Amino acid sequence: MIYSASSIWATFKYNDAFKYVRQQTIFFFLGIVVMLFVSKINLQFLKKKANLILIICFLLLILVLIPGIGTVRNGSRSWFGIGGLGIQPSEFAKIGLIIFVSKYLAHNQKNMRDVKKGALPIFIIIGLFFLLIMLEPDFGTAMVMVLTLIALIFASGLKISFFIKLGILGLLGIIGLIIAAPYRMARIISFLNPWSDPLGSGYQIIQSLYAIGPGGLLGQGFLNSRQKHFYLPEPQTDFIFSIISEEFGFLGVLIVCGFFCFIFYRMLMIALKSNDLFQKYLAFGLAFGIFIQAALNLAVVVGLIPVTGVTLPFFSYGGSSLLISMISIGLVLNVSKK
Amino acid sequence: MFFSNIHERIRFIFIISVIILIAIIIKVFYIQVFAYEKLNTLAESLWSRELPIKADRGLIVDRNGEILATNITTVSLVVVPGQIDNPEQVAKDLSTILKTDYQDMLKHVTKSTSIERIHPEGRALSYEIADKIDALGYDGVYLLKESKRYYPYETVLSHALGYVGIDNQGLSGLELYYDSYLTGSDGAIKYFSDGKGNKLELTEVYVAPTSGITLQLTIDINLQLAIENELDNAISKYDPKQALIVAMNPNTGEILGMASRPNFDSNNYQDYKTEIINRNLPIWMTYEPGSTFKIITLSAALEEQTINLFKDTFTDTGSINVDGATIHCWKSGGHGTQTMLEVVENSCNPGFVKIGQTLGTETLMNYIDKYGFGDKTGIDLNGESTGILFNVGDMGPVELATTSFGQGISVTPIQQVRAVSAAINGGKLYNPYIVGSFLESETNSLIKKNEPQMVRQVISEETSSLVRYALESVVANGSGKNAYIENYRVGGKTGTAQKVENGSYLDGNYILSFMGFLPADDPKIVVYVAIDNPKGVTQYGGVVSAPIARNVMLSAIDILNIEPSKDGMAKEYTWLDKKYSILPNVVGMSKEEASKVLKNYKIEYSGTGKTIIYQSPQADYYVAEGETIKLLLG
Repeated sequence: MIYSASSIWATFKYNDAFKYVRQQTIFFFLGIVVMLFVSKINLQFLKKKANLILIICFLLLILVLIPGIGTVRNGSRSWFGIGGLGIQPSEFAKIGLIIFVSKYLAHNQKNMRDVKKGALPIFIIIGLFFLLIMLEPDFGTAMVMVLTLIALIFASGLKISFFIKLGILGLLGIIGLIIAAPYRMARIISFLNPWSDPLGSGYQIIQSLYAIGPGGLLGQGFLNSRQKHFYLPEPQTDFIFSIISEEFGFLGVLIVCGFFCFIFYRMLMIALKSNDLFQKYLAFGLAFGIFIQAALNLAVVVGLIPVTGVTLPFFSYGGSSLLISMISIGLVLNVSKK
Repeated sequence: MFFSNIHERIRFIFIISVIILIAIIIKVFYIQVFAYEKLNTLAESLWSRELPIKADRGLIVDRNGEILATNITTVSLVVVPGQIDNPEQVAKDLSTILKTDYQDMLKHVTKSTSIERIHPEGRALSYEIADKIDALGYDGVYLLKESKRYYPYETVLSHALGYVGIDNQGLSGLELYYDSYLTGSDGAIKYFSDGKGNKLELTEVYVAPTSGITLQLTIDINLQLAIENELDNAISKYDPKQALIVAMNPNTGEILGMASRPNFDSNNYQDYKTEIINRNLPIWMTYEPGSTFKIITLSAALEEQTINLFKDTFTDTGSINVDGATIHCWKSGGHGTQTMLEVVENSCNPGFVKIGQTLGTETLMNYIDKYGFGDKTGIDLNGESTGILFNVGDMGPVELATTSFGQGISVTPIQQVRAVSAAINGGKLYNPYIVGSFLESETNSLIKKNEPQMVRQVISEETSSLVRYALESVVANGSGKNAYIENYRVGGKTGTAQKVENGSYLDGNYILSFMGFLPADDPKIVVYVAIDNPKGVTQYGGVVSAPIARNVMLSAIDILNIEPSKDGMAKEYTWLDKKYSILPNVVGMSKEEASKVLKNYKIEYSGTGKTIIYQSPQADYYVAEGETIKLLLG
């Protein structure tokens, strides 16, 4: 799929249709190895080192912001360029936080009914990370991370009223962010009516709809996408789902959604079956992390929510994104073994 | 259970998640099914690019399908300035080959545009020049195939056909009048391009250009060629200022042929003066019609029964006094006492003044009006004139008198043809037209037909038959003798009109005309000939125009398959004419008997035997004395 979506751009940029495929394949095998490794490590060791992992992630997030160390790609200073590859510390920070919060929740299960004692300290840490990622800025990853952790805390049994207050606060925060960076407003307007600015902020979503629409029920057929021919920007990453819709139609959409629904369900079952609180939280957090990222991506691509900039796990091109997904699966597999 | 609360919340989150996923699926379903049409159309227009393909202009053919205007492929020069490396050198070479200005060419090849047409000097290039340009082999210099209008008969029918401009747009004649029919709709090769404008290897959609509609004229090219030939002869014989011939089917208004001199070649119209190419004389020219107009006066008087053709007489003394003004007859000394039929035969002006007086101003003008004078005929060509008539209220006896014999009013040739056709076809006034059918370009199937348009009944069938009789008599016995065709019934009327310039008549400057039709009992064709200011000849229509009309009618006999008739009037002979007499039947006679009967003819025998079994020409035809009669013995 990545080949189909990326070959045109890859040929244009690198004169090598298989450029992205080769890289992604390397990461895929690397991911398998990491997944197998992670599925065998001692989760108790991981639990013990959770604080250290968090601190390393925190330092990496600060490092990436320093010009010269972090490189700018697509307007965000969120990458460590190593050779031709790019690694996003924010992706790793996501996992690190999930591990840390799972541990915190498992240790403070009784305090969680109390907002001040239980929730507040953890929210401060989450807020700190959120802020760092937003400085890059990488709104998409920050959103995925925050939503995942909120879901995790929600699962821990914190009062519902708190989440309502949090929702209001989040809404105010989004408004604040829009005021801080007006391009986000343009994104929202273009989401409501993409044709208001067809060449600017509405461009991506229009091109996405031009891909999905003509796909019809059965699609144009594998490799037959037209929108990938320089119409849809970066069709191999954020908008790979558009190309899937175009080439495989509604049937392809059902299969992709079914796939995510299935793995989410399987991972949740693992979480439910686990007898260890830490591992239960960990499995749930990782499962939800993958699912919410997929859901956000799909919702953006089909025009349900404004463009946020998240990739589709397992499908989109991107080394660290795939690696993180594989690590998540590995950890959940690890949980299932106990 | 310790975990129950957590499990409950996890299940709740799962349900919410599934709902979100379903919402996404519904949205996709909506986009792909309900918004499919709209998005697909929008996306198609985003992806597709079009290369236009010029449509062929519709053909113009004669009534039998002979092509009069078609399209040929030519070569045009186009440059893409962005691809030219050395504009100075290219401009220099191109301007040398095309023999144009270097600076102009340099402007073309350096223009900041994606594609530049060298117009007009680079259009419709000859293959020789195209080869030279091709041989240069410059990048960014292209030769494009283009369609160019071509008229295979060149000058024939040029005024009616008109011509087209460099972009194949109709500029005059039928090309202009029916431009919207002749112009096809351009096609295109629609291909899909990527976001950078490159062509994609996806299905190309070929939208075929639709050629323009084929116009099938009422013109018969053979008759037209005969007309053109007669005009050419008249030009070389008389060197007139202008000349024209119109042939029409009097029963429908179909124009069978029309031409005028000076003319032009539609392929190279630029080489001619605008007054030549713009003036389609049969519909544009206005002049005093002269004696051919007497047909109108005559028919009105016969319809109103103010005269009796056979019983009433008129004594012509050579002039007539009307309200103090003296009007002369063309024959000095006058024609003496004549029946009204003889007045017509002799084209006697004072006689027609008398006929006009029996009608009165209002009645005569009413008929002139009903015959369509003073109105355009509505023929499907541009540039028609209206003519000028007297205002009834301003007309005194003198105006009535001159109008009666065709002076003091101004008409167009086509108006006269239309009016005379009505006078002889049974009284029905038909509007003339030149396009008979509109045909689909590929299959030649009929799209639309122009039907004959009858305007009104002007005179009765009976009156019309009297007019035909009188006009046949003009040809047999009167001023139209030179149009007489043996064994055919020809009717007609001569005309000799003095030309008016700046309000006064020009001396010795006449338009000589003849209005003829055939067969006189059931006319199939009306032929009108007008020669403006012929030189070195007696200034009578009967001398100059009648023989021309006769030749056209002779051609029409073959082309329209007009049957000979034995019921026609015998020609009255003068000592100048060859004597024609009815050939007796000699079949069945012996050689000796036959030679007695045919003593006025030369005889050529063939075969052996005593009895004549075949004769040529056949019996009962008019044959000039002294002609050879072939007899077969057996």
